[in-house]
Amino acid sequence: MDQNAAGKTFAPYEFRVERGKIREFADAIGDPNPVYRDPEAAKKAGFPGIPAPPTLLRTFLYETPDSKNALGVKDWSYIVHGEQEFEYLAPVVAGDVLTAQDRIVSVTEKESRRAGKLQIGVIETRFVNQRGETVQIARRTLVETGQRISE
Amino acid sequence: MASFDSLKIGDQPAPLVCGPLTRTDFVRYAGASHDFNPNHHDEVYAKAGGNKAVFGMGMLAGGYCARQLTDWLGVSALKRLRIRFASRFWPGDVLTCTAKVTGKRADGGQRLIDCEFSAVDQNGEVIIRGDATAAL
Repeated sequence: MDQNAAGKTFAPYEFRVERGKIREFADAIGDPNPVYRDPEAAKKAGFPGIPAPPTLLRTFLYETPDSKNALGVKDWSYIVHGEQEFEYLAPVVAGDVLTAQDRIVSVTEKESRRAGKLQIGVIETRFVNQRGETVQIARRTLVETGQRISE
Repeated sequence: MASFDSLKIGDQPAPLVCGPLTRTDFVRYAGASHDFNPNHHDEVYAKAGGNKAVFGMGMLAGGYCARQLTDWLGVSALKRLRIRFASRFWPGDVLTCTAKVTGKRADGGQRLIDCEFSAVDQNGEVIIRGDATAAL
């Protein structure tokens, strides 16, 4: 990983949170909750629209490759997703138009007895809705190991 | 759904059992999330890389744990969620998600519940673990 990547920010990108995608995502995690499918159920639960499940925004649907590329990883088969964090600041509902911006928070090195030298990159994505409210902050920790990841 | 007053430190929701998981479950999540890393759907590719089969996405296990938390605490309750990926899971595995209240506190007028959670496979191996904070 490129130690100089820390602090870099990337061009914002915009996307609409779609109702069909919310349902498809809820199906994929086996969640039968009607709030993800039925506008009336969502309204009864106090949402202004069909809400996004908590882990929806950390999917490959909603990202550009720029920040990952900037980490300067030579071989992605040496990379593991170590940790994923979300902060929830305001609801995200179907129809919202979100603007996301990535920033590389840090690139650090650590010695691990089991896996040798580890390089750890943290990418943060801030999601802002069409009213200018920051709705979520996602932080992804990627770990580059000294050896290929296998059993 | 649990209320702030009714929850005590150590309380746990009913375990959420997912599986036996199938390749179709992985492919469905690949489509929903656009995670098209071939290790998760292409058995030929996965085996050529030394894996015994395709394996599930960590965020799929994370989605199962988040689902347990929203069933327990409400869809709009989560303020923070952190998932740590510990091990991989495979077709045929059964993941059991559990969670536990670790703290109750008030912060800036919000009544907050802290909890820990994990998903383990049928052999007791931890696949993911994490922690979350919910406002109730």
